[in-house]
This record gives sequence, C-alpha cells and structure tokens, in this order.
Amino acid sequence: MNYMPGTASLIQDIDKKHLVLLRDGRTLIGFLRSIDQFANLVLHQTVERIHVGKKYGDIPRGIFVVRGENVVLLGEIDLEKESDTLLQQVSIEEILEEQRVELQAKQESEKLKVQALKERGLVVPRADTLDEY
Amino acid sequence: MAEGGEPVILEDYLLAEDAPLLEEMAEEDEELDLYNEMTFGLDRDSAEEDATKTLVPPERSPELLEPEEQSRVVEGQPPTEEQGELRGEGGMEPEAEQVGSEEEEEEDEEQGVEEQEDEEEPNDLGDPAVMRAVQSKPTLESQDSAVLDSRIGSDWAEFGQEDMLAVDPAAWGSCPSTIPPHHMLEDKAILQVLERPPTATNVALDFLGSPVQRGYVGSPRHKRPDFRGMSPKSFPQHFLQQSAGYMSPGPFSPLSPNIGTPPRSLTMHFGPVSHSLDSSVFFSPSTSGQLNLSVPSHLTQLHPQHQRILTQRQQQSGTLQSVSPKKLWSPKADPCAGLMTCKEKDWVVKVEMIQLQSENLDDDYYYQTYYHRLEHKQAEEELLGGRNKQEPPKLVTPFIQKVETYNSVVRIAGSLGQVAVSTCYSPRRAIDAVHHALVEEAAGSHRLRALHRIERLFLQLLEVEEMQRKMSLATEEQEHKTQEVGRIYQALNIRACSSEEEAEDEFLQVLCVRKGKKLTARLLPHLAPEQAEKILLTITHHLPFLMKKDVPDESLPLLYSPLNEVVGRMTFSRLIEVLQEMTRTLPESAELPLTMALKNQFGISLLYSLLSRGEGLLSSETPLEPHIGDFETWTDTVFLVARELSQVPKALLVEPLFLPSNLLSLFCRYLDKQTVHHLEAKMECSPLPSEAPMPC
Repeated sequence: MNYMPGTASLIQDIDKKHLVLLRDGRTLIGFLRSIDQFANLVLHQTVERIHVGKKYGDIPRGIFVVRGENVVLLGEIDLEKESDTLLQQVSIEEILEEQRVELQAKQESEKLKVQALKERGLVVPRADTLDEY
Repeated sequence: MAEGGEPVILEDYLLAEDAPLLEEMAEEDEELDLYNEMTFGLDRDSAEEDATKTLVPPERSPELLEPEEQSRVVEGQPPTEEQGELRGEGGMEPEAEQVGSEEEEEEDEEQGVEEQEDEEEPNDLGDPAVMRAVQSKPTLESQDSAVLDSRIGSDWAEFGQEDMLAVDPAAWGSCPSTIPPHHMLEDKAILQVLERPPTATNVALDFLGSPVQRGYVGSPRHKRPDFRGMSPKSFPQHFLQQSAGYMSPGPFSPLSPNIGTPPRSLTMHFGPVSHSLDSSVFFSPSTSGQLNLSVPSHLTQLHPQHQRILTQRQQQSGTLQSVSPKKLWSPKADPCAGLMTCKEKDWVVKVEMIQLQSENLDDDYYYQTYYHRLEHKQAEEELLGGRNKQEPPKLVTPFIQKVETYNSVVRIAGSLGQVAVSTCYSPRRAIDAVHHALVEEAAGSHRLRALHRIERLFLQLLEVEEMQRKMSLATEEQEHKTQEVGRIYQALNIRACSSEEEAEDEFLQVLCVRKGKKLTARLLPHLAPEQAEKILLTITHHLPFLMKKDVPDESLPLLYSPLNEVVGRMTFSRLIEVLQEMTRTLPESAELPLTMALKNQFGISLLYSLLSRGEGLLSSETPLEPHIGDFETWTDTVFLVARELSQVPKALLVEPLFLPSNLLSLFCRYLDKQTVHHLEAKMECSPLPSEAPMPC
C-alpha cells in the first residue's frame, strides 16, 4: 500500500532483503532496516557479494549504514527465487583471487591500448579518480 | 575504590582515563533523547508508559551484569554505558559485552539492581549500568573490522542438534524453506540464530508492553549476538535479551510489532514550529474513524487529489500496514524486524510529503502528472457518467508550514563552487544542479559556442514556460513574459544570410543541433506572428542546407508541428513569399528546393502544409488582400509542384508527416483529371468523396 501514489518510497521495503549497488561498484545484500529522507540505508546481516565471471563469493559484513548519495540502485530480493541462480558460489579466498586476476588482466589490456594509441599519436584523456558519469 | 566484592572490577583498566568521556556520553545521550522526543514526538498513549518504563528499564536493563559470570570477554575496549545507550541513540559504540542471565528477566533486574548498588560506589561515575571489563586476548574481530565473528561456527556446533532443529525454519534469513537448519550454519552470512521461545512467558509480556518504549526506540544498536565465550545454555536467554534491545517481540510473540498494533494517533511536530500545530497525522485512524477536518488554514496542503485519496483511504482502512507478510518470510520470526518503528516511518513519510509540496512544478514530475491525469480522468467520467464524484478538496493532511524559504545554494563571492544549504526537511534542494556560471562565448569552436547558446536559451525558455504555466492573468506578468520571449528571440540572432555564410550563421548553427530545433519548436508558440513568420521564412529559405545537415539526426520533424500552426495563421501574401523561397532556383544546384523537399519528410510535410493553407484560404472566400502578382505566383507554384511531383520517381517520394485532405481539390482546381489522377496515385491519398472514379 503506497501512501503516496505517483511517488516512490522505501518505506514498503523495510525489513526485506535487498540488493544494493553502490557507486564504487560494490554489491551489498542485506535486510533493509531503516531509511531516512535522504535514502540513507541501514542494512542488516549484510553480505558483500563479489562477482567474477560465473562465480561469486559472499563476505559477511554485518551492519552497514550507507549514505544515500552513494547508492546507484537497490532492489528487493525475492527469497523464493534467490536460489535459482546459474552462478556458482565459491569461497571468499577464491573469489578475491579471481577478482585480483581479473583486475590485473584489465589493467594490462588497458596499458596495451594506451600504448598503441600513443604510438599512433592519440592521447586519451584520463578521468582520474572521479566517478564515471 | 574497588570495594565491591568478588567481581574483579578493574577500575584502572576500566575507566580511569575514560571517565570524563563516559560522562560526556551520558550527557549526549540525554540530549539525543530530548532531540528524539522533539523530532518524533511523544506518543500520547505511551506517555504514561514512558514515565514508568523509561526510568525503570534502563536502570534495570535486562542486559545487566551478572555477577556470577566471570568469563566474559571484551574486546579490550572500555565498555559503554549500557543504560545510556538504551535510553538514547548512543553515538559511540565500542563493543560492550552483554551477559545473559540465567533467570527470568524480572528476577535479573532485581538481582542486577542489587549488584549495581554494590558496585555503584566503586564506580566513579555512579552509573549502575557500567559494565565490568575483563581483559582478553585480542580477537580476530578486533584486528579486522570486516570479520564479524570468527567463532560463529564453533559456537553453534556446541548446541545440541535438538536446539537447532527446534528453530523455526521460517526464521532464517535466507531461503527459509529450502535450506534445513543445520546446513545454514555453513552459510556465513547468517549471523544470528533464532531461538525457540523461552519458557517464561511473562518475559514476552513485559517486552510487548510498550512497542514504543522510549528506552529502546530508535536505538540503532544492531548488536549481533556475540557468542564468544558464552555457554550454550545461556545462549537462548541471552538472545532473548538481545532482542529486547530491538524492540521487537522476537520469535515468541503471536503479534508482530507493527502489524497487529492498532496505530495510535501520533503527534508529530517538528522542532522550530510551535506546538500549536499539534494535529494528528493523516493516517491516524482508527480510534475515531473520523476525518480530521479541523486544520488551520495556514498549513500547506497537498495536491487536492492526493488529499482526497488519502481521505478515502483513511476511511477504508485504519491500520497502518508497515510490513506486508510474505508467505515464507514472516516478520514475526525476524528478530530485527520493526527496528524502524511506526513512528519513524511516519516521520519519514511525512518528510517525503513535505517535499512533495513545492512551488516548483518541475519537482516530482511523476507525482504531478499522475494526479493531473487522475483529475482529468475523473472529470471525464463525471461528464460522461454524470456521476458526481467530486468531493470538496478536504484538508485532511495537516502539514507543517514551510516556515521560510531559503537559498538552497549559496554562492560566496570569489569561491570556486557552491555551498549547499539544506535542512533535513528539504533535502532535495541540496542537490540543486542549476548552472549559475555564465560561459564565455568567445572561447571554443563554432559548434561549442552554438551548443552553449542553445543551453542558455533553453533555460530561458523553460523560465518562460514556467511563467506561462503559472497562468497568471495579471498584465504585468504578461508583459514580463513577452519581454523574456523577446529577449530569447533577439538572442537567436535571426538574420538574412547568403548561402555561403550558412555554416557560420548563428541561428542556422542552432538549428543544426537537435536541441536547437527543440528550442525553436518550443519557442514558436510564444512568439508574435511576425517573429514566427520570420523564422518560418528563414527555415524555408535555408531548407536545402538544413535538410542536408539533418540527415544523421532526422530531427527536423520536431519543427513541423509548430510551423504548421504558424502556417495555419498566415496571410495569403506571406504564404506566397514563403512558397517563393521553395521555388527559387539555387545557384549551386539544378534541383529546386521544392524538389529536394519532396524527398525529405519534413520538407514534403511543410510543402503540403503550405499548399493546404493556400487552398484553404482560396476556398474560404474570405477577402485575401493579395498583392499584385500573388495569384499568378500561386498558380505557377501549383503547377510547378504538380510537375515535380509527377516527375519524381515514386521510390524517392517520402511520405509526409501529415497529408492534408484538400490537396486534391487544389489540384483539381488547376489541373486536368488525368494529371490529378496520376498525382493522387503518387501521393497515395484517398480519393475525393465525390463520384468515383473521376474526382473532378
């Protein structure tokens, strides 16, 4: 029951399991316990899920208080459908390793690309640490 | 100081240096409490309860020290004031160990009291709730904050199988029905174990007494049950008391905290506003079942439709459903459910509603549109059905008057950025992303400059439309509006230019950009007729250029609709002028603009529109006041069009956006039947309603 039709509110989402995507790319899964008008979130029993390829790993994190502006999107998780996934869960160590490997591969290919462009006289401006809008 | 009996109170370890700190915390907690009360308001119903309970429970906190228990483990940090935290928000939270007692809560309390009294003396702070600390070896948890409990698994293993199976599977956090309890231990994400109900029921009662116990409310103490070093037996009770802090009934109650409880009339008032605005919230229900119509008039209102809906809803259902039970996941099994109380939710909803009440119609577009459409639909239904659905807009939603407006964005002279000022009631304004700085137009390429101009003009146009929307009949407003419109028109810098200069011309550059076309299209309705016609003339004059530039974008049709309106109001002479632009020969091309237009959707639509207007004027028998030579030009044009139309291969002929119905009659007027028939086939327009097969 939406008190304000035509608007969206997180009130209905309280105490439900959610997946939250943050601006820094992290994926959190937890129970939404509390919100406020800035959409700051309190997540309970939170798990940070790392995805690499078809594998994923969950790191238990406990309680998160997320500042609203850092949230890209969030959505409720259907508890019934949660287990229907083709993805394979692995241990934390393994997923972290996979992540490291993936990151390294990406950096290397990026380096090669920049090198190739440089040889052709093109300089790609680097958006250093800012968010990529 | 350590006069207390057996329990080792490591005073020096405990609080010698932290005493002032803890004192501050105590004060802070009191302030926080006060703030909470002011913000969320005090329940009328629970007011009395508060009086008794707030004092009693925190002092006799269920999470009390158990003198017998020696083997508590702390993380080597000073414990907090348990009491203070319970009462208030407790800003800082170093891990404090809680101890489960083995008796019922009430007994504990009493025992605790006695124990506390014993220890009051030794404790400098005089705070009975201060924990004792025992040194322990550093744990993995203390080293790495990301690890929650390294011993969860091992502790759980201590429990008998029986214990585990007794757990209500529905209580599990994830996939309740699919994973049997003992497997869930492996899932490290599950941090809590729900316990079977304790034997004592009066604990439950005590606990349920006031769902809004101020002592526990708002306390963001999501303390995970810390199982280290605790005996398995004490675990259930401990957990029970643990959940006491969550203000939820836990696993044992038949009621869930928010669902069954009939909501009370909540009083909400925000800080600075006087207490005279103390009225019930709109979904204060139930008890009276009446609408609260007595609202002071100075309060801001919601959209009338919205209010109507709220009254309807209020009449229908009184209960405040905050959680919708799902099949497998029942809130009552979730010990942390209801952390956010009804009151807090109401408060957030209230803030959201306040945000909806804004002067700016661009805010909450979807909300506004939704209600506009709803209103229209209802109005239509009324007209059609004859039912009187109109309710007088009721002021059922008393909301806080926005006291004063403030500058949401403050620009300090000489600073690089903007300082955003916001209150928690108007958070949106803090992220006002209005571009204040004026861009230097000298810098950059042509295109960049054109783009900047478009942006600037668009903002101005939006302001104009805003003014328009306000629908003020005051003449000063109208003048202001026309002034603004004039300013935009001037800024567009529409002037004659030759074909060589086309690429450089500012207006044409603007028109080459999609947004520029949109700008022009939206501006046209606001312009005076001469100005609008000038734009039409310019566009038609440079049509080949524009059509060529539009190939990648195909956004010219944006202009069709407003230009059609302009054409529909033109005089015959002006029309001829415009048509002449299309029929003039071009120096750089053998094709006539007219011919090129036939191959472009916008071009052909515009052409047809012009012809249609001419035909309309001629057949309308209104005095045309033509200039000399107009009629000849007109007939020449028609012939020319007919010729080109028949010559252009059908494959290249583009379908127009709109095909006027009077074109055939136009052609009939001047051309022979055969040609008309031929054209009719080409244009694929429906034959005239007169005798088949020959229309004329």
